[in-house]
Amino acid sequence: MLNIVVCVKAVPDPSIADKLKIDPVTKALPRLDIPLVINPLDSHALEAALQLKKKYEAHITVLCMGPPPAGNIVRECLALGADKGILLTDPAFAGADAFATAYTLAKAIEKISSPDVVFCGMASSDGATEWVGPEIATFLNMPIVTLVREIVEDQGDEWIVKADYDQGYRKIRLKLPAVLTVTRNLNQPKPLSFSGILKARSKEIMEWNHEELGVPLEDIGLKGSPTYVTEMYPLESRREVEMLEGTLQEKVERVVKILSDAGVA
Amino acid sequence: MIDFTFTEEQELFRKAARDFAETKIAPHVPTMEETNRGWDAVIKELAEAEMFAVTIPEEYGGLGIGYIGRLIATEEISRVSVATAMMYQVFGLGIEPFIKFGTEEQKKKFLPKFATGEQLATVAVTEPSGGSDPKGCRTTYKKVNGNYVLNGRKCFITNSHTADAQVVLAIDEDNPESFTCFILEKGMEGFKPTHEEHKVGMRGCNTGEIEMKDVKVPAENVIGGEGKGLKVAMAAIGDVGRGGMVGCALGLQQACLDETVKFANERILYGKPISKLQAIQFKIAEMKIDLEAGRLLGYRAAAIQDAGGRSSNEFAVAKYYTTEAAQKAAKIAVDIHGGYGCMEEFAVTRYLRDSFVLGPSAGTSDIMKVIVARWALS
Amino acid sequence: MTESKAAVFVIAEHSRTGIEPVSLQLIGKARQLADDLDSKVGAVLLGQNLSGAAQKLIEAGADLVFQGDADVLVPYQAELYTEIIVKLMLELRPEILLLGSTFMGRELAPLIAAKLETGLTAHCIELAVNAEGILEQRIPAYGGMITIVCPEKRPQMATVANGVFSTPALDASRSGEIVSIEVPRDFQLRAQTLEVVKEEAEGVSLETASVIVAGGAGAEDFDGWREIEELANVLNAGFGSTRPAVDAGWTELETMIGQSGKIVNPELYIGIGLSGELQHMVGIVGAKVMIAINNDSKSPVFEQVDYGVLEDCREFVPALTKKLMESRNQ
Repeated sequence: MLNIVVCVKAVPDPSIADKLKIDPVTKALPRLDIPLVINPLDSHALEAALQLKKKYEAHITVLCMGPPPAGNIVRECLALGADKGILLTDPAFAGADAFATAYTLAKAIEKISSPDVVFCGMASSDGATEWVGPEIATFLNMPIVTLVREIVEDQGDEWIVKADYDQGYRKIRLKLPAVLTVTRNLNQPKPLSFSGILKARSKEIMEWNHEELGVPLEDIGLKGSPTYVTEMYPLESRREVEMLEGTLQEKVERVVKILSDAGVA
Repeated sequence: MIDFTFTEEQELFRKAARDFAETKIAPHVPTMEETNRGWDAVIKELAEAEMFAVTIPEEYGGLGIGYIGRLIATEEISRVSVATAMMYQVFGLGIEPFIKFGTEEQKKKFLPKFATGEQLATVAVTEPSGGSDPKGCRTTYKKVNGNYVLNGRKCFITNSHTADAQVVLAIDEDNPESFTCFILEKGMEGFKPTHEEHKVGMRGCNTGEIEMKDVKVPAENVIGGEGKGLKVAMAAIGDVGRGGMVGCALGLQQACLDETVKFANERILYGKPISKLQAIQFKIAEMKIDLEAGRLLGYRAAAIQDAGGRSSNEFAVAKYYTTEAAQKAAKIAVDIHGGYGCMEEFAVTRYLRDSFVLGPSAGTSDIMKVIVARWALS
Repeated sequence: MTESKAAVFVIAEHSRTGIEPVSLQLIGKARQLADDLDSKVGAVLLGQNLSGAAQKLIEAGADLVFQGDADVLVPYQAELYTEIIVKLMLELRPEILLLGSTFMGRELAPLIAAKLETGLTAHCIELAVNAEGILEQRIPAYGGMITIVCPEKRPQMATVANGVFSTPALDASRSGEIVSIEVPRDFQLRAQTLEVVKEEAEGVSLETASVIVAGGAGAEDFDGWREIEELANVLNAGFGSTRPAVDAGWTELETMIGQSGKIVNPELYIGIGLSGELQHMVGIVGAKVMIAINNDSKSPVFEQVDYGVLEDCREFVPALTKKLMESRNQ
């Protein structure tokens, strides 16, 4: 029985989060109620696990560190087909950078059991450091492949995978247990189904705070983060824009002239 | 008191329904608009997405999600395609008599097939001689050797040409006070859909006439018992038919609001988006208020239904309110679009046409008032 | 072992074509930072047939190069490189460690940081040492810039994309020390790269293009995206994208221009249907003329370009393409 863990992050809906801007007066982020969704790349990570489950016997645990509303994300993953969900939630986890996040997740994975595979999206839409996967692998002392685009061989405990690399790809032989971070091209996530949502009723979601996880306060959250943000400031504009005038056709002609003056058209 | 929030599970149903409508139904809308056909494609999608199983109990192959779930699904589908939502809700309406009044044999025979979409259902009550007045029914049945022979014609029937099983209301030839509902199945000799309607809105939603000429109907196809036909038809239409219209209306209202907000934020006049003008803001506020109110009315009625109570009065209020509001919303949306509101490439013109069809479906606004007056005066 | 400590280290990348440009750029920056700290620049160079490469790093500004030249080091193997570099870092204990945001860097940096239990900032646009000698790492976010520090853990690690910093001039008169490091020959790899395969890149390379057309969410759908692509073709321009376009599936991550994508240096840039998010705009360096086409008058892109066209790109772009093709045929 394959024991799979999928790490998911609840992120502000990327289509709305773009609007979040540093306030030029307060130099801080305004409070905006942006709904949380599954980090898009993590859907591909979960789909990879679900496809494995179709082929072989497998148990999928979804792991998420976030505030209480992130529980909806975990439930959604159960509705998509994961077997069990764990939400790591505790005010003490807040303010964590990639290091502290990966540490906390790794501790949770250790507590779950010894997984055969850990899937993560290669990056989150709201942080995009790409580092939580590799750091989890280090804490768990597992090998890792980042940017997996295709799983070529997945029988047994020696896999062959292809990963994006430098205008092409690497072909890698990977010994399980291992961590894989996945790209969008790996698969096409299946949509939520009503029957999946109903089946999720009987599935368990556990909530762990730092005590249940057994990690000391100085290793988590802001305290456990080697890095932190010291300041933020809005950027002033650097160019004087000329807004073109006239009808659409007149603007087209003007742009053609600009291009030909620049030696392009 | 009441908790006005949806459960996490209901939010997931909404998300699943919204994603479904946006990815699987939306691509078919242009074809449906242009050709007034194309319903086979969306029916197939509805079946695959388990939409038909929503109200059918689990023991008959359904999902047993209930009527709040149905309203959520209908609302989300309608936001993308009112035509599809209308067909969907009427399929649900056709299924309802089986759930509420079917014998065990009838349930076992039909419900599992309805759940998968292998067979489709509808209800046929309206006739040229009366829809608002069901006693104007001229379709008759005659008892012959324990079975029945039906003659007559029904019009303005949604899913007339696609349904495999139609619950038809008829009166006893010898006793016009006695109504019975019969299950008419595709292929029965003398029973066929005839004329197809070309509606100004909800294009691609199959609406038409059916004709019965000496159709032999076996006794086991009586649904709800002989003489109980009006009760069966009104119960189904009153709760489920009206409930479905609420879903269609709410979805349309939301679509009108979304399009209008988008346009108002982009359209620049006097050097700024027109969403900054109070006149426009007030119109948008009206749409929003109607939507908030309509949602509460609809979900309140559906919650009563899920709890097992009779909800036809509450649905009459909701149906009246939301279908009127949807027509208003569509007109406001078109107005705010100015000249663009007359151009076919703009979705609001479709919304306006779709909104007309909401009014008379499953009971006109005036009939709703009759029902509500009866409720208030009782 | 050397005596005077090098405070700033760079992991330099090497391939058959020589040293990666970003590594030289980082040496240049490291030189500045080391001068501010009154210290030296070290580099780690792993690969095979490295002849002359270490010398080049010294000419670019390094004082000390730790070099591992062995067949087991090609192709890049994460576990082996991590093992070697971490061991070295624990011995040398520099203040700062920099890597390029290359495919190798993006994977290797966090593996090293986790092993050293230190902090790491991705895709920095600016690096500077402050009065207390702490490295200030700046990245664009939320329409502005944020400064990140790693005050206690060492080394302070950062990755930087190619093109952010300028390439230093090589000074042949510079001298430095080259130290050979031991490379374990029978290291057991649990994840082993069997081969690296290059795929044909289509179209004009973004990094070298003098004209770039970039599209964003405003393309609305695949048809809109193709309209923008046609314009790029007519102009024989590099065709780039923003994150929303990649997320929508219209294009691949490789075309994304920005902080965590490609840094480009065109003469002329046309941004179509994109909002001018700082994460994207920082990817465009030194363009002479910038034009934006967007239907949202409030879009921040109009504050960052020379010419703004307030039109629906679905209407404007085909019209522009048509006009350009007509002019061409005359």
